[in-house]
Amino acid sequence: MSAAGVFEEATKAIKKIKFSILSPQEIRKYSVVEIREADTYDEDGAPIASGLMDERLGTLEPRTRCKTCGNTAARCPGHYGHIELATPVIHVGFIKYIHELLNVFCRECGRILLPPDKIEAYVAKIENAKRETGTDPVHVYEAVKHEARKSNRCPHCMKKPMFVEFSKPTNFFEHTEEGPKPLDPSSIRARLELIHEEDLKLLGYDPSSFRPEWMILQVLPVPPVSARPSIMLESGIRSEDDLTHKLVDIIRINRRLDEYASEGGAPPLIFHELSDLLQYHVTTYLDNETSGIPPARHRSGRALRTLSQRLKGKEGRFRSNLSGKRVDFSARTVISPDPNLAINEVGVPLDIAMRLTYPEVVTEWNLEEMRKLVTNGPSTYPGALYVIRPDGKRIRLEFVADRSKIAETLLPLFIVERHLKDGDVVIFNRQPSLHRMSMMAHRVKVLPYKTFRLHLCVCPPYNADFDGDEMNLHVPQTEEAVTEALVLMQVQDQILSPRYGGPLIGAIRDFITGAYLLTRKSTYLKKSEVCSLLASIGYSGPLPEPAVTKPEPLWSGKDIFSLLLPKELDYVMKSNICQNCPECDEEDCKNDAYVVVKNGRLLMGVIDRNAVGAEKSESILHRVVKEYGSEAAKDFLNALCRMVNTYIAIEGFSYSLDELDISEEVREKIAARAREAKKRIDELTEQFRKGTLTRLPGQSLEDSFEIYAMNELAKARDDAAKLADKYFGMDNRGSMMTRSGARGSSLNIGQMTACVGQQSVRGKRIIRGYKDRALTHFKPGDPSPEARGFVYSSYRDGLSPSEFFFHAMGGREGLVDTAVRTQQSGYMQRRLINALQDIRVEYDGTVRMATGEVTQFSYGEDSVDPAKSDHGKAVNIERLIERIKLTHGKGKPAGEKYVESKVESVKSELTPLLVEELRKNLLKAKLNKAGVDYAVETTVNSYKKAKIEPGESSGIIAAQSIGEPGTQMTLRTFHFAGVKERNVTLGLPRIIELVDARRVPSTPIMNIYLKKELRKNREKAVEIARDIVYTTVNNVASSVYIDHVKAAVVVKLSRTSLEERGLTAKDVKEALKLLGCAVKSEGDMTILVKPATVEELPKLLDKVSFYHIKGIHGIRRALVTFDKGEWTIQTDGSNLAKILKVPGVDTTRTTTNNIHEIAATLGIEAARNALINEIKSVLDEQGLDVDVRHVMLVADTMTLEGEIMQIGRHGISGEKASVLAKAAFEITVPTLIQASVRGYEDTLSGVTENVICGQMIPVGTGTIDLYMMPANKGSNQA
Amino acid sequence: MSKKDEGEFNIFNHELVPKHILLSKEEAREVLDRYKIMPYQLPKIKESDPVARALNAKHGDILKILREGGPAGAAVYYRYVIKER
Repeated sequence: MSAAGVFEEATKAIKKIKFSILSPQEIRKYSVVEIREADTYDEDGAPIASGLMDERLGTLEPRTRCKTCGNTAARCPGHYGHIELATPVIHVGFIKYIHELLNVFCRECGRILLPPDKIEAYVAKIENAKRETGTDPVHVYEAVKHEARKSNRCPHCMKKPMFVEFSKPTNFFEHTEEGPKPLDPSSIRARLELIHEEDLKLLGYDPSSFRPEWMILQVLPVPPVSARPSIMLESGIRSEDDLTHKLVDIIRINRRLDEYASEGGAPPLIFHELSDLLQYHVTTYLDNETSGIPPARHRSGRALRTLSQRLKGKEGRFRSNLSGKRVDFSARTVISPDPNLAINEVGVPLDIAMRLTYPEVVTEWNLEEMRKLVTNGPSTYPGALYVIRPDGKRIRLEFVADRSKIAETLLPLFIVERHLKDGDVVIFNRQPSLHRMSMMAHRVKVLPYKTFRLHLCVCPPYNADFDGDEMNLHVPQTEEAVTEALVLMQVQDQILSPRYGGPLIGAIRDFITGAYLLTRKSTYLKKSEVCSLLASIGYSGPLPEPAVTKPEPLWSGKDIFSLLLPKELDYVMKSNICQNCPECDEEDCKNDAYVVVKNGRLLMGVIDRNAVGAEKSESILHRVVKEYGSEAAKDFLNALCRMVNTYIAIEGFSYSLDELDISEEVREKIAARAREAKKRIDELTEQFRKGTLTRLPGQSLEDSFEIYAMNELAKARDDAAKLADKYFGMDNRGSMMTRSGARGSSLNIGQMTACVGQQSVRGKRIIRGYKDRALTHFKPGDPSPEARGFVYSSYRDGLSPSEFFFHAMGGREGLVDTAVRTQQSGYMQRRLINALQDIRVEYDGTVRMATGEVTQFSYGEDSVDPAKSDHGKAVNIERLIERIKLTHGKGKPAGEKYVESKVESVKSELTPLLVEELRKNLLKAKLNKAGVDYAVETTVNSYKKAKIEPGESSGIIAAQSIGEPGTQMTLRTFHFAGVKERNVTLGLPRIIELVDARRVPSTPIMNIYLKKELRKNREKAVEIARDIVYTTVNNVASSVYIDHVKAAVVVKLSRTSLEERGLTAKDVKEALKLLGCAVKSEGDMTILVKPATVEELPKLLDKVSFYHIKGIHGIRRALVTFDKGEWTIQTDGSNLAKILKVPGVDTTRTTTNNIHEIAATLGIEAARNALINEIKSVLDEQGLDVDVRHVMLVADTMTLEGEIMQIGRHGISGEKASVLAKAAFEITVPTLIQASVRGYEDTLSGVTENVICGQMIPVGTGTIDLYMMPANKGSNQA
Repeated sequence: MSKKDEGEFNIFNHELVPKHILLSKEEAREVLDRYKIMPYQLPKIKESDPVARALNAKHGDILKILREGGPAGAAVYYRYVIKER
């Protein structure tokens, strides 16, 4: 009993779990009753003795006691029974192992089919491998099995082994000299009994807990009723569990066999039939999805859910009950917004606050308060539901007549389970919980009505909106849990995302519009307005100086906003409204987009998304969090939102329909642009018909036309949108929202006002539907924009019927896309989490897996936690020095020597990159000595602060950081940049392909660089490109056919194809000579290949057609492009090893996107680098900000074993040491069975295993453990 | 590193391949002691890996890898050479 008087159940921690199989003796030992009767209950509804519901199996009925242990239902664990099988039955789960053993061991003497010396050698090899790798050497067992199977004479007894064939579902045949003979379970069992123990070790079996004959069942355990409870239907009829049904079948058949046995044996035919039936029932009892047999069905036709099915899959025991558990003290309801809350608050409805409780320990100081709560009872707020006395007795206040009496007895150390009250710490969550910010600790604010209320700034981390979303709330129940939540999980501590080290929480929507309105140049406020704004943030202090004094005092919005900023803040940035002018006017920006904050005063520029928005790095908000801490940032955000919210209410903001109107003039311009596009399309069509259209490399003429048309139309839409956008000034509410970054894009406005644009299905214009046309409103083959899904109208004007239909088609595809994407990215994230969850940072700074293998020697190479970094950088030195310049005043600049020596002195404490940056910036800044000292010292301190903490579950964070943005990625598999002809798989499919470690990417591609002397030479590049393209006769021939008269294969060459490939007819002829047939020219463009006999002709035709003339295997196309001042070759198809051997190719830079090729030719480290580059470039291309350290961790984990391992069941997850973790991931039942025959032990060193066992997980705060050295006897004894 | 010889393909000249150094027995021992680990707990590299072959590294050796251009500017990694399974 602990000091607080809490009664604690005696619990023991599980250290490890050993898997093995039960012997028949053990099954009988554990059994409390032999089940003989196939019935469950008699006519009176009483359980039949020795039946399946025998009362000795445990009780489920309330108020009855178990016949075995004497406990009531709540305490009785249930007890096993058993069935004595009349004839042995094969256990399906072990089929694989039975088959293996039958073929590897001698049928006569039971020894392994290997000579003694081989046995010894293998024993040594196994021992060695175990010692050297610390894992079970599965590959050696495979080798043993292979070798033993090949033996055709038993080296021990010289008998000839016979091959045993397995046939589904449970039959074995022995191939004797007279032909195959079936083996019945009894004889298999007899053979398995012969097997020698020590030989089992050679195959990885654990003889100490395993005997082969146990895989043949003689006794079947009967699970207690608690594992198969019967349900009472409303009609009062009992409905039995699937397992009970199956057991009834087994007992029935077993009884019949027994009866025959007592009568002196059954006729063999009947005996066989019955034992086969018994086998069927036992098989389906164990696994109702065994291939080769029809599943046992319920009367209704539904397949029974038997033992295997209970464990497997998402709804199985492992994933549904063991890895995820139901909890008390939780609530769920709809959410709604409340901008008057603080960002770290959550509004809890009164009804919920009165159901959820927190166990408050009574002390001298809160005694009175607690008495009051107890007196109030459960139905008056604030009250309490239970009182727990120090002796452990729990009093339910609902049933107490006079609660004030109980309140009087209350003394310190009592526990009062009181209602939630304001300020309590709770954990708030929204599914899908894709990253750690999906569960954050909030402070309770008890409010009326029925919904949870939350501040709008926390919508991005939860990805919540208010269209009916529901969220969950959990109340931590101990002081420790509350503390941990406060230290690690509070909203303000999650403002910076660990994904990219920038703020994830910040202003959104109207807060941004409001901030823009408040801070734009034209905003001047009257005194009354200033007062309401300041009152809203609870400002106390003097009013700032008004900007204008006459005729009445007016304050500028910027000055009022400045009151929110920390006093010493200096920052310069560009706001979202910035037009990206070719030359920035900086301070003189006409858009007021150049933001300057000096000494906490906003001097110029407007505040918008770039300054305070969510998911924006390098903003004012970001600087506030980094430099003033999360508390200050929370207060800043709270005050900002309140003020801006008040302001937008004063000013008023709505977007009206007339704001979408555009002038007749612009309207005409837009129409003209559309006509121009149509004209262009007509021209293209004309060219296409005439065939003068230039074909894009690798595309058919038709496809080329489509690509041209799509580009043309896309341009037209953009231009139309631009025209509209230009027409709207910053006085238009729509433009205000889009340009300040509050909501929407100029594309949205363009679609509303100018032109909706091209609708697409599968990335193409809409063509499918009727034959050669999309709708019957058009002529077949009409290639005009309107016939293929171009919508000329704007949303404001409305769509024509056919446009509307096309739009619906495009819209439908969008919906389907999202659905598919969420599924795919969800599964990818599950796999990532599963593969990386055990990785944590150790106290020595290394990053290790559960079993202690090192994945990284220091996290992310510099040990910096991305969440504590400054947008990925360990220390923002430039910013630091800029600040020092202002604070440390002028003075004699410290000499270069001084800087060098100062930097040198801290070299060992910083990363090489930081040292270099520090030196460079200090030399440039010319600070005085004090300034330099301060800069160096601060850099070192900041670096130390940014370091990752020991125990951090870096693996999970990496998995979340890559998985979470998965939903935001496009599914568009292909992508052409402009008119570029290369199709590359990008987005989610490419990421999946990479983490899957697919052998060949779906679009293999190479970037070939040329040697220095050839870089500027286009002709040479083209020549190399021509030479590497894999060319067969087919590629250069217009036709290849058999001429029976001439008895030859005729190759008609095409002059243009030859030229394109840089070949001559002679080259082809020379190449074909290598076939070993007579090759003859006939005219200059025809070649005859004559085989020795006519019969060879058809074969030769294929041979000739696919005959390789030149080029490198795998290279389908090669394009020469001019890129960054040099000519490079980009190929479709990849073959790194061969390309590197091509003369003229730069072997230092040429790469491929096939990671496996890189691993094979450049090694595992290069593959790791390539993997990082590939993943990072896909993420960048999608505009997703993810810290490289996360990608590095994934890449390092994938290349840990010296080869590229997949993230998933065939790779990292499959190699896991933990049986439970593997079983919980994907291949549940076979994993458990293998573990039991091999006698594996699960040491519970990973995360899932401990979750399954209900124990503390070994990452994060769970890393800490208490190690005690027992004191030496006699010394230091108190 | 050998001087840039563009004619012959040299694996270490490729920009994706970091510098690998074959550690002596003493140095290898020191690495294991520093991290208090068994060799098999290190990241691995196969004997058949092109880099391992170029350095003629054999089962039981440890390679020191100097990674450049990461967040730290330069970092050290180790790999234990293993036989092909």
